[in-house]
Amino acid sequence: MAFWKQLLRDRGRTRGVEGLKTRLSSFQDLVAKNNRVLELFADAGEKLGGEYVFDIQYLHGLARSLEEEVRGVVQDLEALTGRRNKDLRAAVERVSSEIGAVIDSRVVAPKADYVIDLDAVDADLAEVVGMKMARLGEIRNHLGLRVPDGFVVTTYACRQVLDHAGVTLEMEEAFGGDPSPDPDRLKAVAAALAGRLEDARIPAGVARAIRTGMSRLGRNTRCRKVAVRSSALGEDGDLSFAGKYRTVLGVTAAELTAAYRQVISSLYTHEVMRYRMDRGAHPGRGLMAVGCLCMVRAKAAGVLYTLDPSRVDEKVVVVSAVRGLGKAVVEGVSVADRFVVARDAPYDVLSRDTVVKDQMTVTAREGGLKRIPVPEAQRSEPALSEGELRELVSGAMRIERYMKCAQDIEWAVDTDGRLYFLQARPLRLSPTIEVRQPDLSGVVNRYKVLMRDRGEVACRGIASGRVHIVENDDALGDLPEDAVLVARTSSPRLASAMSRIQAVITDVGTATGHLAAIAREFRVPAIVDTRCATDLLAEGMEVTVDAEENRVYEGRVDELVHSQLLRRSAFEDAAEYRLLRGILGKAAPLNLKDPQSSSFTASNCATYHDIIRYAHEKAVEELSSGRRMNPSRNGRFVRRLELGIPLDLVMIDLGGGFRKRDKGRSVGPGDLTSKPLCALLDGLMTEGVWATGPADMDLDGFMSSATRAAPLSNPLAARVEHNLAIVSESYLNLSLHLGYHFNIVDAHLTDRRDENYIYFRFAGGVTEMARRARRATLLKRILVANDFVVEGRQDLVIGRIKKVPTDVMKNRLRIIGRLVGFTRQLDIHLRDDDALERCVNGFLEGRNSPLDCTGAS
Amino acid sequence: MNAMKKVLVLDDEPIVCERLKPALEKIGFYVETFNESQEVIDRVTEENFDVLVTDLKMKKPDGIEVMKYVNEKSPGTKVIIITGFATEETAREALSSGAVDFIAKPFKISQLRDLIVKITGDE
Repeated sequence: MAFWKQLLRDRGRTRGVEGLKTRLSSFQDLVAKNNRVLELFADAGEKLGGEYVFDIQYLHGLARSLEEEVRGVVQDLEALTGRRNKDLRAAVERVSSEIGAVIDSRVVAPKADYVIDLDAVDADLAEVVGMKMARLGEIRNHLGLRVPDGFVVTTYACRQVLDHAGVTLEMEEAFGGDPSPDPDRLKAVAAALAGRLEDARIPAGVARAIRTGMSRLGRNTRCRKVAVRSSALGEDGDLSFAGKYRTVLGVTAAELTAAYRQVISSLYTHEVMRYRMDRGAHPGRGLMAVGCLCMVRAKAAGVLYTLDPSRVDEKVVVVSAVRGLGKAVVEGVSVADRFVVARDAPYDVLSRDTVVKDQMTVTAREGGLKRIPVPEAQRSEPALSEGELRELVSGAMRIERYMKCAQDIEWAVDTDGRLYFLQARPLRLSPTIEVRQPDLSGVVNRYKVLMRDRGEVACRGIASGRVHIVENDDALGDLPEDAVLVARTSSPRLASAMSRIQAVITDVGTATGHLAAIAREFRVPAIVDTRCATDLLAEGMEVTVDAEENRVYEGRVDELVHSQLLRRSAFEDAAEYRLLRGILGKAAPLNLKDPQSSSFTASNCATYHDIIRYAHEKAVEELSSGRRMNPSRNGRFVRRLELGIPLDLVMIDLGGGFRKRDKGRSVGPGDLTSKPLCALLDGLMTEGVWATGPADMDLDGFMSSATRAAPLSNPLAARVEHNLAIVSESYLNLSLHLGYHFNIVDAHLTDRRDENYIYFRFAGGVTEMARRARRATLLKRILVANDFVVEGRQDLVIGRIKKVPTDVMKNRLRIIGRLVGFTRQLDIHLRDDDALERCVNGFLEGRNSPLDCTGAS
Repeated sequence: MNAMKKVLVLDDEPIVCERLKPALEKIGFYVETFNESQEVIDRVTEENFDVLVTDLKMKKPDGIEVMKYVNEKSPGTKVIIITGFATEETAREALSSGAVDFIAKPFKISQLRDLIVKITGDE
């Protein structure tokens, strides 16, 4: 940008342009920071794919960089307008503190409701509901398996209770600067804190929320008693705390608040504090969410391990079962039936060891539990029928596939024979077993590699099964449980099968596409864009998909599938991964899309993306309105360009950009003398490029997981916004908002080849993921075909070309002009990959509208 | 058949060890991971390893000190430095202190894996 600076210096010498110079410089800075923020989003989005190793330092760095750049954008806007923008500053503070809370969430409860229904719980809420309840929410809401109805009292509620009772203060004072006191002192502190909490009153707001949650549950389900279960931060995560926190069963509405207090008091038992301290954590800093789940009227219950922890090589499922509630078997105080079951469908029972069961635990009518005799005839009968056992193991294997590691599951079957999952956590294996991983390189060499490094990994993981090639929708209804889905396109319709399949492989598609996003949501190993899967893989063939090394093997590579199960947990469960998702969730969504809307205000900015979008719009508006420019001094530099199309382009002249024939506020194309702008407009104004003809609305194309929250609107109806060109005879800096697309062109065009360059940048949005990916592919292919050096992440595409002769420069600027017009109505036409091909080829052959390429009506 | 190559991974962030261990084991390496540098110093006095992958910024002794110790005790061990505080200067310091290579965090697992395969295959 040496040219740009030189120009500003030259213009600076001219009387009356000092203010203009400063403001243009602020604008340039604002645009540069705006771009850096978008690049940070794209870069961080890439890290979610699973290919990267990153740590908490990276997250701190990312949060810092985002905040720095966004603050810079606001300062540049203020410099440009000469006004302090309090609302925008407040928005930055808000987002920044929300992101800070995400990063600190291991110790600070993020602000949330006191009570959240289990229907609304998933892994993204892990810091609010604790990992145990987050997993249960995933099993219920993502896998569709039966979990008791209920609600969660959040970590935020817990924080209020602890603060209100004075526990937080007393704890911090008690430990002072020494979080590793001697055992006697620790015991004394534990007793004091637990005592304080047990005597404390629950704050009215929290107590009310718990009562409301319980009465709603009673109304909706006729449930009268709940199990009150701990779900502390860190429980079942890095530290297991297995059995260390309290659970209270058979709790009535009247007893609920007391039971809640009892359960959270177990944060401060000596045993728990000691356990935390021994593992390097602060002994007193814990937070707990509490699940309140309807009691199951259990006829049988117990525990299931998806691998036998003592003999992991045998690859079998082990089930322990008793009559009645499973408390005794969970606590290991009662004899139980033991079943060994095959891990593959149809889940044959390999052995059964039935014991005599004299007693069982049931819920007492008055609340709590009691032990009663098992009816004589049932004492020697197995607690589970073969059918129930198969259903249980089938569900457990789905949970294991989803969680990507061996599981320890609590379950119950009610008196009507309905199976419930009560808890699932990674199966703890002895460290010696984890170290004994087989030499997989030797093992996999024995198998034929059917595909290697074809396409992109869209979701990491390993799975095996039988190839099921999908040709049409009908085939999706009846997929076997072991299906490896193979398809030509990565059509979003495949998403409907995602919760039931082992893996997915497609011929075309991208790792940032819609299907890839759904695969990640369901944690299904996925490889896309292989170009050859439907040719190389035959229907019914048994294969193992290694979507970590991007390989597909013929046959079942047991050791490979097995090695994954022995890991402690899937990378998706790592705190860092969830934190990154949380940061992006606070920073990246764009809610402010329509500058004409009354809600397009600084105080409505909810994310960093909103803030930079708002600031950019206001900066362009400020410059193009010529406010704060003394007309007698600066007015002659600013003109609106009348083109006869709704582009609303305002130009600022740095010298030789256009002729000012009179004192009017606008000029026509004939007045333009800026060579790069003339060349670009030449392309943009080519007949057919600025097509305004009707295009069919395919609303599907505008729904996406990323924009689900945004109002659905017709982008063609989106009003044209202020656009700005800063020009000189040889220079062009163009910012164009067209609907939801944002184009930037920065170009210098002279007779001196070495000084020539074009920088073109396209950022999109709004349409669903698959179309965004196709749009990015289209732009990249067209730019590459025209000698641009192209880079891009997700739906951001940047093309550069430099040091080319004048005639080539003019030609490429014309192409950019055509492309800007072409992409304006592109999204709705990119229904599938065939349409993408037709659009790329059509454009390169000289067609100027997507409609002409696809022939869509 | 060649003996299994042995890799030590040292990083005070557990996530790094958790991600690298299975990825390297899968391609046939024997892997031990540590979060404390003193443990690595103790371990290399007991046994020789082919590769040490170590973070740079840690509580004392830091990555450079561990590397110097390992180079002295076990000159055959090749050291790769990984760090989130990547500057040209730190890279230069790492290389001049005896590292065979330097990778900035975040990195792709395949990048480190290919590097380890290359340096252990060179022998």
